[in-house]
Amino acid sequence: MSAYSALTAAGYRAQVRDKTTVFFTFAFPLIFLVVFGLIFRGREVEQSGFSYLSYTAAGVLSWGVANAAVFGIGFTLMQWRADDILRMIRMSPAPLSSVIGSRYVLALGVGLVQSVLFVGVAMLPGFDLVPASRWPLLIPVMVLGITTFLLLGVIVGSIADTPESVAGIANFLMLPMAFLSGSFFPLDAMPDWLQKVSLVMPLRYLNDAVSAALTGRGDLSDIGVGCAGLVGFAVVFGVVAARTFRWTKSS
Amino acid sequence: MSSTSPTPDHGAQPAVAVSDVTKSYGGRRAVDEVSLEVRRGEFFGLLGPNGAGKSTLVEIMEGLRKADSGSVTVFGESPWPRNTGLLPRMGVQTQSSAFFVRQTVHEHLRTVAALFGADREAVDATLDAVGLGGRHGVRVDDLSGGQRQRLAIASALVHGPELIFLDEPTASLDPEGRRDLWEVLRGLKAEGRTIVYTTHHLDEAEALCDRVGILVAGRLVVTDAPQNLIGTFGATSRLLVPLGRIDERKAASLPGVDGVTVQGGHLVLETRATGQVLAALDPLTGLDGVQTRTPSLEDVYLDITARQTQAQTQTQTPHTSNNQEQQA
Repeated sequence: MSAYSALTAAGYRAQVRDKTTVFFTFAFPLIFLVVFGLIFRGREVEQSGFSYLSYTAAGVLSWGVANAAVFGIGFTLMQWRADDILRMIRMSPAPLSSVIGSRYVLALGVGLVQSVLFVGVAMLPGFDLVPASRWPLLIPVMVLGITTFLLLGVIVGSIADTPESVAGIANFLMLPMAFLSGSFFPLDAMPDWLQKVSLVMPLRYLNDAVSAALTGRGDLSDIGVGCAGLVGFAVVFGVVAARTFRWTKSS
Repeated sequence: MSSTSPTPDHGAQPAVAVSDVTKSYGGRRAVDEVSLEVRRGEFFGLLGPNGAGKSTLVEIMEGLRKADSGSVTVFGESPWPRNTGLLPRMGVQTQSSAFFVRQTVHEHLRTVAALFGADREAVDATLDAVGLGGRHGVRVDDLSGGQRQRLAIASALVHGPELIFLDEPTASLDPEGRRDLWEVLRGLKAEGRTIVYTTHHLDEAEALCDRVGILVAGRLVVTDAPQNLIGTFGATSRLLVPLGRIDERKAASLPGVDGVTVQGGHLVLETRATGQVLAALDPLTGLDGVQTRTPSLEDVYLDITARQTQAQTQTQTPHTSNNQEQQA
């Protein structure tokens, strides 16, 4: 077995055996869906004519998937470094790409299950989401989004040395970003300058692309711009991640 | 353990060559101009008090740390920066915490084996060798301290490395476990593998090592075979004579006796010339019940480290004297 497939298998076993984390990873976005569904029931976003729910469904899904990608690898890298597992891998000939690659595949799996579950629930009566005909474009958009946020998570997991600091840094980045990128509230409702600020946030691009693919807001160019933005951020995060990555606590 | 057998050219090139290596942290020299060669097939013990720089020196040999100055080669190649050509030939004992979470013993070692490209048979064989053969299905989190240590050692051996680094491998083992591991280590040596290990068990170093090096405050004070060290440093033997056979004054006057004390039910004669004293005692008391205690590596070690530490504190200013506490 290759290092990559062995690490993927070990990661998969570790993940499914941790029932609590599995539950909350998938339940978290759904809770937000329910909460926002109750708050904005029956209201429509001005101008666009789309329901609030169709708007927040795309935003909450993007945020949920991005959040899981950042926290997942952030905690894993921090814990593996604290436990000297990274040191052990460092002393083997296995390439770093097999470590990150295995986590990447696992993150894609988590993102897929999250998306299917989330969209499935959002289509139930009461939420009434109707996926747009171009919903299959959600797949490449999500893959790009997970790539970008996984690389952000590598940075977080490399800087942080304790679970508390992973949670602190990741929440500091992801929560304000969720609000400022329009994951929870429509950007239209924000002042102009805040809308401009959102352009420097990777989640804004994921939101726009997911929204266009899943609910049909905007057109194909919105998906294109979203994907281009995500690729840009992925490159930046990739460069920073390569510079901040540490095999051991002391190096 | 997989079947990678060590290269047969013993002595052609040392397994590890360390030359004038220095490493400082802040203003403190953790490793101070250390030169050292570990020959192929040799069992080398690195001894020294906590904070003497053993871990740092070993990590420099492993290529985990870069020396500030000096050179290190392993099988003729530099281990730093990460040398993936060299890594499969080396095995490093992991910390007993370095287990993949929520895995069984077998799953963990299988994952480690895959990192090195070793096969599944090697996993079973290695677990048998370290005495975890019956524990395949136990979660790593449920292992006892000794079992965790065995699994950590197995992680270093599973890919059949030529050069093995072990860090206090018997520290949390019970006496039976220690003896079992000695056999594993002797077996590895018999296969021609090179072992570098650190320990605080001096009896163990004496029993297992071809040579030991004693590190005190970053300096390699001495390197030699344990028996040579005991001979050269001339630690004293002690003869225990039951009380009442000979009086203290008379015993002290015997040729070769350096000192006399009373301990328990015995008169203890310290000497560097055991034969001479025994010959003198025989006509006076007879040798029945007389016991001989030969010096051990531990006596030599304590003597050397005490002398070195004393010499260091004399040359150091008071505010720097406790620096070596920092690195355990």
